[in-house]
Amino acid sequence: MADVRYTSVRKEFGEVVALEDLSLEIADGEFVVLVGPSGSGKTTALRLLAGLEAISQGEIRVGDRVVNRVAPQDRDIAMVFQDYALYPQMTVYDNLAFGLKMRKVPKPEIKQRVERAAGLLDIGELLERKPRALSGGQRQRVALGRALVREPAAFLMDEPLSNLDAKLRVQTRGEIKLLQRQVGTTTVYVTHDQVEAMTMGDRVAVMSDGKLEQVGDTRTVYEHPANVFVAGFIGSPGMTFATLGVSRNGGRMTFARGRMSLSVDPSGSTEPIPDEVTIGVRPEHAHIWRDGNNLVGPVEGTVTFVEMLGREALVGVSVGADQRFTVFADADTRISIGDPLSFGVERGRLYLFDPTDERALGVI
Amino acid sequence: MSTSSRTTVVMNYVLLTICAIVAIYPLIGVILASLYPTGPGSQPSGFSLPPTFEWHNYVTAWEQGKFASSFQTSFIVAAAMVPASVVLSVVAGYAFATMRFRGSQIIFWLFILGLIIPTEATIVPLYYDVRAMGLLDTYWALIILETSGEVAFGIFWMRAAFLAAPKSLLEAARIDGANSWQTLWRVMVPFARPAILTLTVLCFADSWNEFFLALVFTINHMTAPAGLASFSGRYTQDIALVSAGAVIVAIPILVVFVFFQREFLRGMLTGAVKG
Repeated sequence: MADVRYTSVRKEFGEVVALEDLSLEIADGEFVVLVGPSGSGKTTALRLLAGLEAISQGEIRVGDRVVNRVAPQDRDIAMVFQDYALYPQMTVYDNLAFGLKMRKVPKPEIKQRVERAAGLLDIGELLERKPRALSGGQRQRVALGRALVREPAAFLMDEPLSNLDAKLRVQTRGEIKLLQRQVGTTTVYVTHDQVEAMTMGDRVAVMSDGKLEQVGDTRTVYEHPANVFVAGFIGSPGMTFATLGVSRNGGRMTFARGRMSLSVDPSGSTEPIPDEVTIGVRPEHAHIWRDGNNLVGPVEGTVTFVEMLGREALVGVSVGADQRFTVFADADTRISIGDPLSFGVERGRLYLFDPTDERALGVI
Repeated sequence: MSTSSRTTVVMNYVLLTICAIVAIYPLIGVILASLYPTGPGSQPSGFSLPPTFEWHNYVTAWEQGKFASSFQTSFIVAAAMVPASVVLSVVAGYAFATMRFRGSQIIFWLFILGLIIPTEATIVPLYYDVRAMGLLDTYWALIILETSGEVAFGIFWMRAAFLAAPKSLLEAARIDGANSWQTLWRVMVPFARPAILTLTVLCFADSWNEFFLALVFTINHMTAPAGLASFSGRYTQDIALVSAGAVIVAIPILVVFVFFQREFLRGMLTGAVKG
């Protein structure tokens, strides 16, 4: 096992900069998730660590060793691919044993390690089967097993759950997390699914356009997003935004534009607030306005959509042209598209961002 | 089943039956003609049954056409040329499909040029080269020339087969510790097995059917088709014996094809249908 360190890593594909100045430290035994939309550079970062792409600038370390010019097979890492990449002509046993055979591990030890991994993953019954005779979930386990038997310094996982159906995905992400805790191997996991990132990672590294936007534990990234991108990307459904003018009246602060006006007694510390801010509201912090429910507001608008989720409903509210918010409501709330609706925001849950550089200013 | 889909199925069967008849009938016609009596009065036809079935024609054709000798040549040449062509094509196709090296595109297109330029266009300089090497009328002349002609197609074929493999398979093998050689033989060759077996069948058919090179470069080492040509020259009136000779020459290819039929079809479809 080992820690992993990216230092000012850059990767260019011709004219295109796929990764820009990535610096990230992953502690020994830690489970870090690289998450971001398509083209954010997360898979490139993983492939650079695996040695499948050459680094353009910077340095990658696995343990004490700089691995920039080390071949993939000598980096002491194991990778789980999105399409599993199982050797189709080999049995499950041979798939698991292949990496050990290539490293000339003695046969009795190979057998012992394969059986141990098969036991951990509950695939002991499948060892004589070929990959084509396995279900998607079973293939996924075999791919994990192939990484596990190697007992590497780090596991690299490239969207390993994306080919599974929704139910199996939920089940398997719990199993992978448990497995990682059991073996304690440093893990770098890539996904575009922020729910997967939030439920699996000890820490989450949010990426966009080849840049690391924020890295932190899941609670920090959710509660204190570094900028508008992270705030919008993390959380489901995502945070909604509106850019408003700021006026101050004594201790009170009013955010207003067009029909919208929101007065707040600032609580909590923020950076200096300019004359214009982007406010961010998470749907789970916005509720239908009722007298005395201790919310900041009211904000009045018109219902644009209603999505029934079962236990509750998601309601879209349009206040002005660029002022659209999403609000959670009780499932039994009788509401239709076009109805007027007032909502408020929980105190201490109004996020403020600088509209010029989209940096977070604080939460009030 | 609706009326329109039933009509489609019927049309498909009719079309396939017509194609099958067009493909198979010449073979049946030659077999029928080969069983007619020999001699000046006989008029063999591929469209009617012979008055008597003259199975002895095959023995006569085998002896008079000296097929024992030409079959030996064909088998020796094929036994050397087929493995050489397949191994070279696999190794070079793998390199072109998976490795980046200086000039790879130009070299690949030079090989493709070998597919485009007909042998007839280069036969005269080739003759002088082979003579200079002292290989005229030897097995080696046929083996080397046939192999060099076959690898042009073989590389094209195997490159396509290896390109069809998921890139992650190669990457998984690299991370598992396999070098290029181990990746080729342990991962990629088993993956491309249908394409390799298809190439083997095609190489054997090409080698077995070789006529022109044998005619130009050998006198005492005639291949089976070249032997058949000389045979038909002498007995040009005796269609029954020529037909029997043609059937004899075709038998080894038929046997090989029947043996590899399943893999052959799978290889032909590789890349055409997403698996």
